[in-house]
Amino acid sequence: MSSISELYDVSWEEMRDKLRKWREENYRNSEQIVDVGEELINEHASKLGDDIWIIYEQVMIAALDCSRDDLAWSCLQELKRQFPDSHRVKRLAGMRLEALERYEDANKLYDSILQDDPTNTAARKRKISILRAQGKSSEAIRELNEYLEQFVGDQEAWHELSELYINEHDYAKAAFCLEELMMTNPHNHLYCEQYAEVKYTQGGLENLELARKYFAQALKLNNRNMRALFGLYMGLFATSHQPYTPQNPEAQGFAARNRDEVDCVQLKFQHIHGEGLSC
Amino acid sequence: MSLKLTTQAYCKMLLHAAKYPHCAVNGLLVAEKHKKKDSPRDSVLCVDCVPLFHGALALAPMLEVALTLIDAWCKENKYVIAGYYQANERIKEARPNQVAEKVAARISENFSEAAMIMLDNSRFTMDCFVPVLFIYDHHDNKWKCREPSTDCFEDWIEAQKITAALLESKSYESLVDFDNHLDDLRNDWTNPEINKSVLHLC
Repeated sequence: MSSISELYDVSWEEMRDKLRKWREENYRNSEQIVDVGEELINEHASKLGDDIWIIYEQVMIAALDCSRDDLAWSCLQELKRQFPDSHRVKRLAGMRLEALERYEDANKLYDSILQDDPTNTAARKRKISILRAQGKSSEAIRELNEYLEQFVGDQEAWHELSELYINEHDYAKAAFCLEELMMTNPHNHLYCEQYAEVKYTQGGLENLELARKYFAQALKLNNRNMRALFGLYMGLFATSHQPYTPQNPEAQGFAARNRDEVDCVQLKFQHIHGEGLSC
Repeated sequence: MSLKLTTQAYCKMLLHAAKYPHCAVNGLLVAEKHKKKDSPRDSVLCVDCVPLFHGALALAPMLEVALTLIDAWCKENKYVIAGYYQANERIKEARPNQVAEKVAARISENFSEAAMIMLDNSRFTMDCFVPVLFIYDHHDNKWKCREPSTDCFEDWIEAQKITAALLESKSYESLVDFDNHLDDLRNDWTNPEINKSVLHLC
């Protein structure tokens, strides 16, 4: 079984940099992280310096994802030895218990962290993840809402809450979470586009119009966002066939303008076809 | 009427689930269009599957885009959308949820013998010794689960061997679902390379 460095002809520095990139961009390619990280730890530990501790943490979490308890345990032991009283390491021990489905033991560990440090957000979020893993969605939603009342700026939590609401088909509340994210990240095209998808799913003329607007905004922020382009097309199509009603006399005006925009979007699709960007 | 799966369809379903072990995944099954419209078929053979999404399955716009595009592709290739598969996020959860029932109901409007397949994550292994499906048929507006057996495969031994081989060689890393296609339009959701590998191993 040849090593990663032989298979891909990479040096240990490149492997270390790849791990850093995956860490910073929050990738969940656990099998790759385990392959690269395990080799880096086994062959090149002495060259890594202080980076090795964060690599142990990254590899441990990836190992849990891949059911490699042997690797996770050895990483945890190294971290415990180096940082004996650390809450961060304790949380990793808790994650290992979660992976082994020993949820009660994991909860006890997290509760002990919170007794020592009630503001420890990582432990609170792990407890919520346990609820999600056990399928207790309503409790997870309730706990996450309470958490967000205290830690309003936690974007990861807002995003997790929006996902939970989407899975429960509570689109109005999911939209609220995404609105929070858009307010704090006005240039993020992904939040715009997800918000538009939620609004589209909610349905009804007002929501479809809103969806169309936010798909357009996402496209403005990133004109390569294909979901936004497709979504804009669907939104235009859906709102371009609205009949006149006395309650909404502007609907036909919108509809007519939207029909023209459908043509513009179709031209853009043809352009993309021409560039060979479709299969 | 009963649904049968070819090796290619079963393989790609499992590869899709293996590629995203931490997400829910779903997709469509396609069958060849029946030439005689009046005589009913004794069994529907699903020849291929199109992996759709991973992660958030409950959002409408991209699902509608996918259904439209795949429908057009089916018409070009004389296929018909004949079923829907889903693997839930949690290992022990194998029951169909609202999304599965809605999409499967929509499919059965166009194809009366449509089936819904739920993957049994808890029995999903690299060796594929047992079929890991629950097949649901539509009767009286309800979805009823069939007894699991190897009868629903065109050739179970072949399906088992080839799926195990492709899982072992990590072919799922190159599987393209509709989500991947939306990320980069050059990704081909018909997965010709994987189809070739399956054929090659047959």
